[in-house]
Amino acid sequence: MSAAAAATDGTYSPAAAAGEKRRERKEELRRHLAEDADWPRADGRSFHDCRPAFMQTGPTTAASGSAYAEFGKTKVIVSVFGPRESKKAMLYSDTGRLNCNVSYTTFATPIRGQGMDNKEYSAMLHKALEGAVMLHTFPKTTVDVFALVLESGGSDLPIIISCASLALADAGIMIYDLVTSVSVSCFGKNIIIDPTSDEEAWQDGSIMVAYMPARKEITQLTLTGEWSDGKITNAVELCMDACSKLCDILRERLKDAASLAE
Amino acid sequence: MESRKPPPSALVDNHVVPGDVVLDLTEMTNQTIKLGAGLRQDCDTIQATSAGRLRLSKPNKYWVESSQKRYIPSVEDTVLGVVVDTKPDNFLVDIKGPNLAFLPVLAFEGGTRRNIPKFEIGTLIYARVVKANSIMNPELSCMDATGKAAEFGQLKDGYMFDTSTGLSRMLLSSPTCPVLEALGKKLSFEIAVGLNGRVWVNAPSPSNVIVVSNAIIKSESLSGIGQRSMVESLLERLS
Repeated sequence: MSAAAAATDGTYSPAAAAGEKRRERKEELRRHLAEDADWPRADGRSFHDCRPAFMQTGPTTAASGSAYAEFGKTKVIVSVFGPRESKKAMLYSDTGRLNCNVSYTTFATPIRGQGMDNKEYSAMLHKALEGAVMLHTFPKTTVDVFALVLESGGSDLPIIISCASLALADAGIMIYDLVTSVSVSCFGKNIIIDPTSDEEAWQDGSIMVAYMPARKEITQLTLTGEWSDGKITNAVELCMDACSKLCDILRERLKDAASLAE
Repeated sequence: MESRKPPPSALVDNHVVPGDVVLDLTEMTNQTIKLGAGLRQDCDTIQATSAGRLRLSKPNKYWVESSQKRYIPSVEDTVLGVVVDTKPDNFLVDIKGPNLAFLPVLAFEGGTRRNIPKFEIGTLIYARVVKANSIMNPELSCMDATGKAAEFGQLKDGYMFDTSTGLSRMLLSSPTCPVLEALGKKLSFEIAVGLNGRVWVNAPSPSNVIVVSNAIIKSESLSGIGQRSMVESLLERLS
Protein backbone atom coordinates (compact mmCIF):
# COMPACT_ATOMS: atom_id res chain seq x y z
CA MET A 1 0.00 0.00 0.00
CA SER A 2 2.74 2.44 1.04
CA ALA A 3 4.82 1.42 -1.99
CA ALA A 4 1.89 2.20 -4.25
CA ALA A 5 1.41 5.55 -2.56
CA ALA A 6 5.10 6.35 -2.93
CA ALA A 7 4.97 5.44 -6.60
CA THR A 8 1.99 7.71 -7.06
CA ASP A 9 3.76 10.59 -5.32
CA GLY A 10 6.87 10.12 -7.45
CA THR A 11 4.93 10.07 -10.73
CA TYR A 12 5.57 13.15 -12.89
CA SER A 13 2.37 14.72 -14.22
CA PRO A 14 3.05 17.01 -17.21
CA ALA A 15 -0.51 18.34 -17.08
CA ALA A 16 -0.12 19.41 -13.45
CA ALA A 17 3.24 21.07 -14.14
CA ALA A 18 1.84 22.89 -17.16
CA GLY A 19 -1.17 23.99 -15.14
CA GLU A 20 1.13 25.36 -12.44
CA LYS A 21 3.13 27.34 -15.01
CA ARG A 22 -0.06 28.72 -16.52
CA ARG A 23 -1.28 29.84 -13.10
CA GLU A 24 2.04 31.61 -12.45
CA ARG A 25 1.85 33.39 -15.81
CA LYS A 26 -1.72 34.50 -15.17
CA GLU A 27 -0.81 35.83 -11.73
CA GLU A 28 2.07 37.81 -13.25
CA LEU A 29 -0.22 39.16 -15.98
CA ARG A 30 -2.85 40.18 -13.42
CA ARG A 31 -0.19 42.03 -11.41
CA HIS A 32 0.99 43.94 -14.50
CA LEU A 33 -2.57 44.85 -15.41
CA ALA A 34 -3.23 46.16 -11.91
CA GLU A 35 -0.22 48.45 -12.28
CA ASP A 36 -1.38 49.46 -15.82
CA ALA A 37 2.26 49.73 -16.86
CA ASP A 38 4.22 48.41 -19.84
CA TRP A 39 5.04 44.75 -19.31
CA PRO A 40 6.90 42.08 -21.26
CA ARG A 41 4.78 39.57 -23.19
CA ALA A 42 5.30 35.88 -22.42
CA ASP A 43 6.84 35.18 -25.85
CA GLY A 44 9.11 38.24 -25.78
CA ARG A 45 7.21 40.23 -28.44
CA SER A 46 6.54 43.95 -28.19
CA PHE A 47 2.90 45.10 -28.08
CA HIS A 48 2.79 45.79 -31.83
CA ASP A 49 4.55 42.63 -33.01
CA CYS A 50 2.73 39.70 -34.59
CA ARG A 51 3.79 36.10 -34.02
CA PRO A 52 6.12 34.50 -36.61
CA ALA A 53 3.95 33.17 -39.44
CA PHE A 54 4.35 30.12 -41.66
CA MET A 55 1.91 29.49 -44.51
CA GLN A 56 1.77 26.83 -47.20
CA THR A 57 -0.63 25.84 -49.99
CA GLY A 58 -1.70 22.38 -51.09
CA PRO A 59 -1.36 20.13 -48.01
CA THR A 60 -4.65 18.32 -48.76
CA THR A 61 -4.39 16.49 -52.07
CA ALA A 62 -8.07 15.49 -52.29
CA ALA A 63 -9.36 19.08 -52.03
CA SER A 64 -9.73 21.59 -54.89
CA GLY A 65 -7.53 23.92 -52.87
CA SER A 66 -6.04 23.89 -49.38
CA ALA A 67 -3.74 25.84 -47.09
CA TYR A 68 -1.91 25.38 -43.79
CA ALA A 69 -1.07 28.23 -41.43
CA GLU A 70 1.02 28.33 -38.30
CA PHE A 71 1.15 31.49 -36.17
CA GLY A 72 3.16 30.77 -33.05
CA LYS A 73 1.34 27.90 -31.36
CA THR A 74 -1.85 28.27 -33.41
CA LYS A 75 -2.01 25.72 -36.23
CA VAL A 76 -4.84 25.66 -38.77
CA ILE A 77 -5.56 23.67 -41.93
CA VAL A 78 -8.26 24.75 -44.41
CA SER A 79 -9.63 22.70 -47.32
CA VAL A 80 -11.83 24.05 -50.11
CA PHE A 81 -14.07 21.75 -52.15
CA GLY A 82 -15.98 22.77 -55.27
CA PRO A 83 -17.60 24.53 -56.98
CA ARG A 84 -19.85 21.47 -56.95
CA GLU A 85 -23.54 20.94 -57.59
CA SER A 86 -25.81 22.09 -54.79
CA LYS A 87 -27.94 19.43 -53.12
CA LYS A 88 -31.24 18.83 -54.89
CA ALA A 89 -33.12 19.86 -51.74
CA MET A 90 -31.81 23.42 -52.03
CA LEU A 91 -33.80 25.94 -54.05
CA TYR A 92 -32.47 27.36 -57.33
CA SER A 93 -30.07 30.25 -56.89
CA ASP A 94 -28.53 32.36 -59.66
CA THR A 95 -25.54 33.02 -57.42
CA GLY A 96 -23.32 30.41 -55.83
CA ARG A 97 -23.37 29.38 -52.19
CA LEU A 98 -20.50 29.58 -49.76
CA ASN A 99 -20.62 26.96 -47.03
CA CYS A 100 -18.16 27.42 -44.15
CA ASN A 101 -17.42 25.06 -41.30
CA VAL A 102 -14.91 25.53 -38.47
CA SER A 103 -14.06 22.62 -36.20
CA TYR A 104 -11.50 21.85 -33.51
CA THR A 105 -9.55 18.65 -32.99
CA THR A 106 -9.88 16.89 -29.62
CA PHE A 107 -6.29 17.86 -28.80
CA ALA A 108 -6.50 21.50 -29.95
CA THR A 109 -6.86 23.02 -26.48
CA PRO A 110 -4.94 22.29 -23.25
CA ILE A 111 -8.08 20.76 -21.73
CA ARG A 112 -8.56 17.63 -23.81
CA GLY A 113 -12.16 17.22 -24.88
CA GLN A 114 -14.54 16.55 -27.71
CA GLY A 115 -13.57 17.73 -31.19
CA MET A 116 -16.37 20.20 -31.81
CA ASP A 117 -17.87 22.29 -34.59
CA ASN A 118 -17.77 25.96 -33.71
CA LYS A 119 -21.03 27.40 -35.08
CA GLU A 120 -20.17 30.98 -34.12
CA TYR A 121 -16.78 30.88 -35.85
CA SER A 122 -18.35 29.21 -38.90
CA ALA A 123 -20.84 32.08 -39.25
CA MET A 124 -18.11 34.70 -38.78
CA LEU A 125 -15.84 33.00 -41.34
CA HIS A 126 -18.73 33.01 -43.83
CA LYS A 127 -19.36 36.70 -43.17
CA ALA A 128 -15.69 37.59 -43.65
CA LEU A 129 -15.30 35.66 -46.93
CA GLU A 130 -18.62 36.23 -48.70
CA GLY A 131 -17.70 39.84 -49.51
CA ALA A 132 -14.56 38.69 -51.31
CA VAL A 133 -15.83 35.64 -53.22
CA MET A 134 -17.41 36.32 -56.64
CA LEU A 135 -20.48 34.19 -55.97
CA HIS A 136 -22.14 35.14 -59.29
CA THR A 137 -19.43 33.26 -61.22
CA PHE A 138 -20.69 29.85 -60.11
CA PRO A 139 -24.52 29.84 -60.05
CA LYS A 140 -26.43 26.75 -58.83
CA THR A 141 -23.27 25.44 -57.17
CA THR A 142 -21.66 25.42 -53.74
CA VAL A 143 -18.13 26.06 -52.52
CA ASP A 144 -17.37 24.32 -49.23
CA VAL A 145 -14.72 25.72 -46.90
CA PHE A 146 -13.69 23.38 -44.07
CA ALA A 147 -11.33 24.75 -41.43
CA LEU A 148 -9.74 22.50 -38.83
CA VAL A 149 -7.87 23.96 -35.86
CA LEU A 150 -5.07 21.54 -35.02
CA GLU A 151 -3.77 23.57 -32.08
CA SER A 152 -5.34 26.59 -30.46
CA GLY A 153 -2.85 29.16 -29.24
CA GLY A 154 -4.98 32.31 -29.40
CA SER A 155 -6.32 34.54 -32.22
CA ASP A 156 -7.81 31.46 -33.90
CA LEU A 157 -10.47 33.14 -36.05
CA PRO A 158 -8.20 35.72 -37.76
CA ILE A 159 -5.78 32.94 -38.71
CA ILE A 160 -8.64 30.77 -40.00
CA ILE A 161 -9.88 33.66 -42.19
CA SER A 162 -6.43 34.39 -43.66
CA CYS A 163 -5.79 30.69 -44.25
CA ALA A 164 -9.22 30.19 -45.87
CA SER A 165 -8.54 33.09 -48.21
CA LEU A 166 -5.27 31.46 -49.28
CA ALA A 167 -7.05 28.13 -49.81
CA LEU A 168 -9.74 29.78 -51.96
CA ALA A 169 -7.08 31.37 -54.16
CA ASP A 170 -5.30 28.01 -54.39
CA ALA A 171 -8.57 26.37 -55.51
CA GLY A 172 -8.92 28.88 -58.35
CA ILE A 173 -12.16 30.34 -56.98
CA MET A 174 -12.70 33.84 -58.37
CA ILE A 175 -12.18 36.37 -55.57
CA TYR A 176 -12.01 40.17 -55.66
CA ASP A 177 -8.98 40.22 -53.37
CA LEU A 178 -7.21 38.17 -50.72
CA VAL A 179 -8.77 38.58 -47.28
CA THR A 180 -6.42 38.88 -44.34
CA SER A 181 -7.42 39.22 -40.72
CA VAL A 182 -5.77 40.35 -37.49
CA SER A 183 -7.08 40.88 -33.97
CA VAL A 184 -5.96 43.22 -31.20
CA SER A 185 -6.64 43.13 -27.47
CA CYS A 186 -7.01 46.00 -25.06
CA PHE A 187 -5.32 45.87 -21.64
CA GLY A 188 -5.97 49.07 -19.72
CA LYS A 189 -4.22 51.76 -21.75
CA ASN A 190 -2.27 49.25 -23.84
CA ILE A 191 -3.27 47.78 -27.20
CA ILE A 192 -1.56 44.51 -28.10
CA ILE A 193 -1.70 42.85 -31.50
CA ASP A 194 -2.16 39.13 -32.23
CA PRO A 195 -2.86 38.03 -28.63
CA THR A 196 -2.13 34.51 -27.38
CA SER A 197 -4.77 32.44 -25.55
CA ASP A 198 -3.40 33.52 -22.13
CA GLU A 199 -3.63 37.18 -23.13
CA GLU A 200 -7.14 36.69 -24.54
CA ALA A 201 -8.25 35.30 -21.18
CA TRP A 202 -7.43 38.60 -19.40
CA GLN A 203 -8.25 41.20 -22.06
CA ASP A 204 -10.59 44.14 -21.37
CA GLY A 205 -11.77 44.11 -24.97
CA SER A 206 -10.84 42.95 -28.45
CA ILE A 207 -11.20 44.04 -32.07
CA MET A 208 -10.92 41.73 -35.05
CA VAL A 209 -10.66 43.15 -38.57
CA ALA A 210 -10.95 41.18 -41.83
CA TYR A 211 -9.56 43.35 -44.62
CA MET A 212 -9.00 43.32 -48.39
CA PRO A 213 -5.79 45.36 -48.78
CA ALA A 214 -5.84 45.92 -52.57
CA ARG A 215 -9.42 47.21 -52.47
CA LYS A 216 -9.01 48.91 -49.08
CA GLU A 217 -12.25 47.35 -47.88
CA ILE A 218 -13.10 45.87 -44.50
CA THR A 219 -15.22 42.73 -44.89
CA GLN A 220 -15.78 42.21 -41.17
CA LEU A 221 -15.19 44.10 -37.95
CA THR A 222 -15.91 42.48 -34.59
CA LEU A 223 -15.66 44.47 -31.38
CA THR A 224 -16.03 43.20 -27.82
CA GLY A 225 -15.51 44.82 -24.43
CA GLU A 226 -14.96 48.45 -23.46
CA TRP A 227 -13.29 50.82 -25.95
CA SER A 228 -12.97 54.59 -26.27
CA ASP A 229 -13.38 56.26 -29.69
CA GLY A 230 -9.71 57.20 -30.02
CA LYS A 231 -8.56 53.75 -29.02
CA ILE A 232 -10.88 52.08 -31.56
CA THR A 233 -9.42 54.22 -34.37
CA ASN A 234 -5.86 53.34 -33.34
CA ALA A 235 -6.70 49.65 -33.04
CA VAL A 236 -8.40 49.46 -36.46
CA GLU A 237 -5.50 51.30 -38.13
CA LEU A 238 -3.05 48.93 -36.45
CA CYS A 239 -5.06 45.93 -37.69
CA MET A 240 -5.27 47.27 -41.25
CA ASP A 241 -1.52 47.88 -41.35
CA ALA A 242 -0.83 44.34 -40.09
CA CYS A 243 -3.34 42.91 -42.61
CA SER A 244 -1.51 44.63 -45.48
CA LYS A 245 1.80 43.12 -44.37
CA LEU A 246 0.20 39.69 -43.93
CA CYS A 247 -1.28 39.97 -47.43
CA ASP A 248 2.25 40.33 -48.85
CA ILE A 249 3.13 36.98 -47.25
CA LEU A 250 0.02 35.38 -48.80
CA ARG A 251 0.92 36.79 -52.23
CA GLU A 252 4.45 35.41 -51.99
CA ARG A 253 3.09 31.99 -51.01
CA LEU A 254 0.75 31.92 -54.01
CA LYS A 255 3.50 32.98 -56.39
CA ASP A 256 5.88 30.38 -54.93
CA ALA A 257 3.23 27.67 -55.38
CA ALA A 258 2.57 28.71 -58.99
CA SER A 259 6.26 28.79 -59.93
CA LEU A 260 6.78 25.41 -58.22
CA ALA A 261 3.98 23.90 -60.33
CA GLU A 262 5.78 25.06 -63.46
CA MET B 1 -7.94 60.62 -83.08
CA GLU B 2 -5.41 57.96 -84.06
CA SER B 3 -5.96 54.60 -82.40
CA ARG B 4 -2.85 53.35 -80.63
CA LYS B 5 -2.17 49.80 -79.53
CA PRO B 6 -2.45 49.25 -75.77
CA PRO B 7 0.90 49.15 -74.01
CA PRO B 8 1.53 45.53 -72.98
CA SER B 9 1.18 45.24 -69.23
CA ALA B 10 4.43 45.01 -67.29
CA LEU B 11 2.98 41.92 -65.62
CA VAL B 12 2.57 39.88 -68.84
CA ASP B 13 4.06 36.37 -68.41
CA ASN B 14 4.50 37.08 -64.69
CA HIS B 15 2.54 35.66 -61.78
CA VAL B 16 -0.47 37.63 -60.60
CA VAL B 17 -2.70 37.05 -57.58
CA PRO B 18 -6.25 38.23 -56.81
CA GLY B 19 -6.36 41.99 -56.30
CA ASP B 20 -3.32 42.79 -58.48
CA VAL B 21 -3.88 45.72 -60.85
CA VAL B 22 -2.93 44.42 -64.29
CA LEU B 23 -3.77 47.44 -66.48
CA ASP B 24 -4.55 51.09 -65.85
CA LEU B 25 -7.22 52.25 -68.29
CA THR B 26 -6.63 55.95 -67.65
CA GLU B 27 -3.48 55.72 -69.80
CA MET B 28 -5.38 54.11 -72.67
CA THR B 29 -7.82 56.03 -74.87
CA ASN B 30 -9.89 54.88 -77.87
CA GLN B 31 -8.65 51.33 -77.51
CA THR B 32 -10.38 48.01 -77.21
CA ILE B 33 -9.02 45.25 -75.04
CA LYS B 34 -10.50 41.80 -74.56
CA LEU B 35 -10.51 40.22 -71.11
CA GLY B 36 -10.42 36.46 -70.63
CA ALA B 37 -10.60 34.23 -67.58
CA GLY B 38 -9.31 35.56 -64.27
CA LEU B 39 -9.63 39.28 -65.05
CA ARG B 40 -12.29 41.92 -64.38
CA GLN B 41 -12.73 45.65 -64.84
CA ASP B 42 -12.98 47.71 -61.67
CA CYS B 43 -13.56 51.40 -62.53
CA ASP B 44 -10.40 52.52 -64.38
CA THR B 45 -8.34 49.43 -63.70
CA ILE B 46 -8.20 45.81 -64.78
CA GLN B 47 -7.71 43.52 -61.78
CA ALA B 48 -6.83 39.86 -61.44
CA THR B 49 -9.42 37.64 -59.75
CA SER B 50 -7.47 34.39 -59.72
CA ALA B 51 -3.87 33.37 -59.18
CA GLY B 52 -1.75 32.40 -62.18
CA ARG B 53 0.32 33.75 -65.07
CA LEU B 54 -0.93 36.76 -66.98
CA ARG B 55 -0.96 36.07 -70.73
CA LEU B 56 -1.29 38.42 -73.70
CA SER B 57 -2.37 37.30 -77.14
CA LYS B 58 -1.43 40.09 -79.51
CA PRO B 59 -2.83 42.59 -80.14
CA ASN B 60 -5.25 42.94 -77.24
CA LYS B 61 -6.39 39.74 -75.49
CA TYR B 62 -5.46 39.35 -71.82
CA TRP B 63 -6.19 36.40 -69.55
CA VAL B 64 -4.84 34.61 -66.48
CA GLU B 65 -3.57 31.09 -67.09
CA SER B 66 -3.78 28.95 -63.98
CA SER B 67 -3.57 25.31 -63.00
CA GLN B 68 -6.46 23.87 -60.99
CA LYS B 69 -7.93 20.57 -59.96
CA ARG B 70 -11.45 21.63 -60.97
CA TYR B 71 -12.44 22.35 -64.56
CA ILE B 72 -14.61 25.20 -65.82
CA PRO B 73 -16.24 24.10 -69.12
CA SER B 74 -15.51 26.15 -72.21
CA VAL B 75 -16.86 25.75 -75.76
CA GLU B 76 -14.71 23.67 -78.16
CA ASP B 77 -12.70 22.08 -75.34
CA THR B 78 -12.02 18.37 -75.74
CA VAL B 79 -12.72 16.50 -72.51
CA LEU B 80 -12.63 13.02 -71.02
CA GLY B 81 -15.89 12.22 -69.28
CA VAL B 82 -17.26 9.33 -67.27
CA VAL B 83 -20.89 8.28 -67.78
CA VAL B 84 -22.67 8.46 -64.41
CA ASP B 85 -26.30 8.02 -65.50
CA THR B 86 -28.38 7.25 -68.59
CA LYS B 87 -31.64 8.95 -69.52
CA PRO B 88 -33.89 8.31 -72.55
CA ASP B 89 -32.62 11.39 -74.42
CA ASN B 90 -29.11 11.86 -73.07
CA PHE B 91 -26.28 10.51 -70.97
CA LEU B 92 -25.15 12.32 -67.82
CA VAL B 93 -21.38 12.67 -67.90
CA ASP B 94 -18.96 13.74 -65.17
CA ILE B 95 -16.32 16.06 -66.64
CA LYS B 96 -14.86 17.32 -63.31
CA GLY B 97 -16.87 20.52 -63.68
CA PRO B 98 -19.30 22.26 -61.32
CA ASN B 99 -22.22 20.41 -62.94
CA LEU B 100 -22.72 17.15 -64.78
CA ALA B 101 -22.67 17.45 -68.58
CA PHE B 102 -25.35 16.23 -71.00
CA LEU B 103 -24.37 14.03 -73.94
CA PRO B 104 -27.42 13.70 -76.25
CA VAL B 105 -27.97 10.19 -77.61
CA LEU B 106 -28.06 11.67 -81.13
CA ALA B 107 -24.71 13.49 -80.77
CA PHE B 108 -22.82 10.67 -82.52
CA GLU B 109 -21.91 10.19 -86.18
CA GLY B 110 -25.00 8.98 -88.01
CA GLY B 111 -26.92 9.10 -84.75
CA THR B 112 -30.61 8.22 -85.14
CA ARG B 113 -33.31 6.88 -82.86
CA ARG B 114 -32.66 3.40 -84.23
CA ASN B 115 -28.96 3.13 -83.43
CA ILE B 116 -28.69 4.72 -80.01
CA PRO B 117 -25.35 3.77 -78.38
CA LYS B 118 -25.50 1.66 -75.24
CA PHE B 119 -23.12 3.03 -72.60
CA GLU B 120 -22.95 1.49 -69.17
CA ILE B 121 -22.32 3.59 -66.07
CA GLY B 122 -18.56 4.10 -65.73
CA THR B 123 -17.86 4.20 -69.47
CA LEU B 124 -15.06 6.58 -70.44
CA ILE B 125 -15.88 8.96 -73.31
CA TYR B 126 -13.76 11.41 -75.28
CA ALA B 127 -16.02 14.29 -76.31
CA ARG B 128 -16.18 17.94 -77.33
CA VAL B 129 -17.93 20.71 -75.39
CA VAL B 130 -20.53 22.35 -77.64
CA LYS B 131 -22.42 24.44 -75.08
CA ALA B 132 -21.00 25.93 -71.91
CA ASN B 133 -23.00 28.35 -69.83
CA SER B 134 -22.64 29.10 -66.14
CA ILE B 135 -26.38 28.73 -65.48
CA MET B 136 -26.88 25.60 -67.61
CA ASN B 137 -25.37 22.15 -67.62
CA PRO B 138 -22.69 21.86 -70.33
CA GLU B 139 -23.53 19.92 -73.48
CA LEU B 140 -21.13 17.49 -75.14
CA SER B 141 -20.90 15.96 -78.59
CA CYS B 142 -18.98 13.00 -79.99
CA MET B 143 -18.72 14.60 -83.44
CA ASP B 144 -16.43 17.28 -84.84
CA ALA B 145 -17.77 20.44 -86.51
CA THR B 146 -18.30 18.57 -89.81
CA GLY B 147 -20.42 15.84 -88.20
CA LYS B 148 -17.75 13.14 -88.38
CA ALA B 149 -16.81 10.99 -85.38
CA ALA B 150 -13.11 11.89 -85.80
CA GLU B 151 -11.28 10.76 -82.65
CA PHE B 152 -14.31 11.14 -80.38
CA GLY B 153 -16.30 8.35 -78.77
CA GLN B 154 -15.87 5.58 -76.22
CA LEU B 155 -12.36 4.77 -75.00
CA LYS B 156 -11.93 1.06 -74.34
CA ASP B 157 -9.21 -0.66 -72.28
CA GLY B 158 -6.28 1.51 -71.16
CA TYR B 159 -5.87 3.47 -67.94
CA MET B 160 -7.29 6.86 -67.00
CA PHE B 161 -5.84 9.16 -64.32
CA ASP B 162 -6.51 12.68 -63.06
CA THR B 163 -4.06 15.57 -63.34
CA SER B 164 -4.32 19.35 -63.05
CA THR B 165 -5.76 21.46 -65.86
CA GLY B 166 -2.33 23.08 -66.26
CA LEU B 167 -0.63 19.76 -67.01
CA SER B 168 -3.29 18.73 -69.53
CA ARG B 169 -2.82 22.07 -71.33
CA MET B 170 0.93 21.47 -71.38
CA LEU B 171 0.46 17.98 -72.87
CA LEU B 172 -1.72 19.41 -75.66
CA SER B 173 0.56 22.37 -76.37
CA SER B 174 2.38 22.89 -79.65
CA PRO B 175 5.26 22.06 -80.24
CA THR B 176 4.93 18.58 -78.73
CA CYS B 177 5.52 18.38 -75.00
CA PRO B 178 9.09 17.08 -74.25
CA VAL B 179 7.84 14.22 -72.06
CA LEU B 180 5.57 12.83 -74.82
CA GLU B 181 8.25 13.35 -77.46
CA ALA B 182 10.85 11.45 -75.40
CA LEU B 183 8.42 8.62 -74.60
CA GLY B 184 7.23 8.36 -78.22
CA LYS B 185 10.76 7.70 -79.48
CA LYS B 186 11.13 4.55 -77.35
CA LEU B 187 7.62 3.24 -76.63
CA SER B 188 4.44 2.69 -78.61
CA PHE B 189 1.31 3.91 -76.84
CA GLU B 190 -2.00 5.69 -77.38
CA ILE B 191 -2.92 8.77 -75.38
CA ALA B 192 -6.02 10.94 -75.08
CA VAL B 193 -5.78 14.17 -73.10
CA GLY B 194 -8.83 16.09 -71.94
CA LEU B 195 -8.56 19.77 -71.08
CA ASN B 196 -10.51 18.93 -67.93
CA GLY B 197 -7.40 17.38 -66.38
CA ARG B 198 -7.93 13.73 -67.32
CA VAL B 199 -5.50 11.60 -69.29
CA TRP B 200 -6.12 8.17 -70.84
CA VAL B 201 -3.19 5.94 -71.79
CA ASN B 202 -3.22 2.62 -73.62
CA ALA B 203 -0.25 0.46 -74.64
CA PRO B 204 0.40 -3.15 -75.70
CA SER B 205 1.84 -4.08 -72.29
CA PRO B 206 0.75 -3.00 -68.78
CA SER B 207 4.36 -2.07 -67.87
CA ASN B 208 4.40 0.48 -70.71
CA VAL B 209 1.12 1.98 -69.48
CA ILE B 210 2.57 2.35 -65.97
CA VAL B 211 5.79 3.96 -67.25
CA VAL B 212 3.95 6.45 -69.47
CA SER B 213 1.47 7.34 -66.70
CA ASN B 214 4.20 7.86 -64.10
CA ALA B 215 6.29 9.93 -66.51
CA ILE B 216 3.34 12.22 -67.26
CA ILE B 217 2.39 12.65 -63.59
CA LYS B 218 6.00 13.45 -62.61
CA SER B 219 6.50 15.88 -65.51
CA GLU B 220 4.25 18.61 -64.08
CA SER B 221 6.92 20.27 -61.95
CA LEU B 222 9.86 19.67 -64.33
CA SER B 223 11.44 21.76 -67.08
CA GLY B 224 11.89 20.41 -70.64
CA ILE B 225 15.41 19.11 -69.93
CA GLY B 226 14.26 17.65 -66.61
CA GLN B 227 11.42 15.83 -68.35
CA ARG B 228 13.77 14.23 -70.90
CA SER B 229 16.25 13.05 -68.26
CA MET B 230 13.40 11.71 -66.11
CA VAL B 231 12.03 9.69 -69.07
CA GLU B 232 15.52 8.31 -69.79
CA SER B 233 15.95 7.13 -66.19
CA LEU B 234 12.49 5.50 -66.22
CA LEU B 235 13.21 3.69 -69.49
CA GLU B 236 16.59 2.47 -68.19
CA ARG B 237 14.81 0.79 -65.29
CA LEU B 238 12.29 -0.75 -67.70
CA SER B 239 14.91 -2.36 -69.96
